[in-house]
Amino acid sequence: MRKVLVLAGLLLARPDARAQELGFVPPAPGTYKLQHILRAPEGTVLDCEGEAQRFSRFTTGRITVLSLIYTRCGDGRGCPLASYMLKSLKGRIDKRRRWSDLLRFVSLSFDPDHDTPAVMRAYGSGYAPDKIGLPWHFLTTRSHRQLRLLLDGFGQDVWMPADPSATATGPLPHVLKVFLIDRLGSIREIYTTSFLQPQMVLNDIETLLLEDGAPLD
Amino acid sequence: METSKTHAAAWLGALVLCATSLAAADETCNSPYIGNLIKGQEDYLYVWALGEKGLGDGSDKLVTIDAKPGSAKYGKVIHKVSVGSRGEAHHMGLTDDRRFLWAGGLDDSKIYVFDIAKDPGRPRLVKTIADLPAKTGYVGPHTFYALPGRMLVQALSNSKDHGGVTGMAVYNTKGELVTTYAMPTDNGGDGYGYDVAVNPQKNVLLTSSFAGWNNYMMDFGKLVKDPEAMKRFGSTMVVWDLKAMKPTKILSVPGAPLEIRWSLKQGDNWAVTATALTSKIWLIKQDASGDWQGQAVADIGDPAKIPLPVDISISADGKGLWVNTFMDGKTRYFDLSNPAKPVQAYEKVTGKQVNMISQSWDGKRVYISSSLLANWDKKGADNEQFVRAFNWDGKELTPAFEVDFLKEKLGRAHHMKLGSKALKMAFNDADQR
Repeated sequence: MRKVLVLAGLLLARPDARAQELGFVPPAPGTYKLQHILRAPEGTVLDCEGEAQRFSRFTTGRITVLSLIYTRCGDGRGCPLASYMLKSLKGRIDKRRRWSDLLRFVSLSFDPDHDTPAVMRAYGSGYAPDKIGLPWHFLTTRSHRQLRLLLDGFGQDVWMPADPSATATGPLPHVLKVFLIDRLGSIREIYTTSFLQPQMVLNDIETLLLEDGAPLD
Repeated sequence: METSKTHAAAWLGALVLCATSLAAADETCNSPYIGNLIKGQEDYLYVWALGEKGLGDGSDKLVTIDAKPGSAKYGKVIHKVSVGSRGEAHHMGLTDDRRFLWAGGLDDSKIYVFDIAKDPGRPRLVKTIADLPAKTGYVGPHTFYALPGRMLVQALSNSKDHGGVTGMAVYNTKGELVTTYAMPTDNGGDGYGYDVAVNPQKNVLLTSSFAGWNNYMMDFGKLVKDPEAMKRFGSTMVVWDLKAMKPTKILSVPGAPLEIRWSLKQGDNWAVTATALTSKIWLIKQDASGDWQGQAVADIGDPAKIPLPVDISISADGKGLWVNTFMDGKTRYFDLSNPAKPVQAYEKVTGKQVNMISQSWDGKRVYISSSLLANWDKKGADNEQFVRAFNWDGKELTPAFEVDFLKEKLGRAHHMKLGSKALKMAFNDADQR
């Protein structure tokens, strides 16, 4: 138990520990401004029970960390990296009870042909099996048309093959992006592979919480 | 606890994977955030050309050249997009997903966004941003540098006095202005800007400094005879905290430091630049205490003759640096094995005036363009305007093809980027289901 507390302290508090993980000394949370980059798009998604939901339900009201993924992705630097990072972050955040009440994670598939609600439910059970702590939603869309609106809104590329039959089995190359969205649905940071550092994401979350005047402990 | 340990170890492994991918993040000179690398043979060379009055339609244009050896149209212009006006076309930059190419005009301050994904051989102009000065007070969009989901634009001047004090603007993927950052004018900062370059692993943004509209739009002969104007060139580089976008250190780098190139070799923590007026290579590197320092490490030609180094291109392994000098028309190669002591290993006259230089990821192909600025280019017979492609075997530059931009009525050839047929996006064909 003591070791757990020491680890949590290292990861969440001490600036020197943050620097050690990152390889540089990051600016302290709250000392910098995260810009309003873009509004998170509105649209319709399917939750993992197959219910249609307005997408804004998952991008407003809480600070949201959202990744666009497809479950078949086998690129170790792509979707598995994003999902693993969120799992790692969830472990850290769940140690702060109040944070769990103020945040959510979302994994949205851009492969509706394969990633049905049932597939997303099974995928989610591997990353957030116990449904304890910070909520993590695994979403998909009913059609490519619905998906396209969301991808355009996020500025997310997905290089889908022209041949529909290839889409079902082939890779879907894309630039890995994870989005940090504030309570009002404004995208405040975008992380790609070379910038996807959990400590920086935690710092940015803390910066938004400070901006909101939320209690940190 | 075991779970936490396992996660920590796995995450460390993931970070190693991340870092490995970063080391091979681009065709040597672009933002490390750009994906879809062209590590093999490029199919296209995109050239952003300045319009020339009386030549063709006189407008700035994006020219596409077939650069695939063996192609029926190898070395030929296969497409061009005129923007319908002449605004001192200068530099371009790819978005992080390589779907779009942003290009700017230093005189009219317009920013053009070309779609190069739907048909890489036939770029389309899809957006024009014409309100940079009105919205930011900045003039002369120069460097276009991809950040995740954004484009960082470094301007050269300002709308108030057209001098060199300027700043950076950030746009989102829809072309909407997100914010601006002024170049520092305190703590030794001169407020000037030119190039930007990021090292994500160090959370560092480096910027360099050139001159304002009053200087870069002035006739070159007149400029060099104007001692007051010659004082108005940048003499600093700025080290920024990338995350906070705050300057942390001003480096004194006299003589207008231009392009900045980070070594892409994994673990390296240094960048180089070349100073136009003092003709030197500078090394920017962390010292033992982690503090960033700048040091002049080599002369480029004879600085007393002002050869005017105007562009550099670093090899993917960080061991070599191409340098183009405008006045003597030479292309030089420096051995950067020891970046603290670059040694010139090769030189060749590649034109009567040469400006930009770009190399393929494998370093085997080198592209050179001719134009510096419309009012700085040489006159008469020395005003060659071309793109010349060379093959490089490590010892000799061998001509591969040449496009005469005057004969083709295209204008003045400036910045170049590579393109690939493989990067054709078929999304539109799939999204209707």
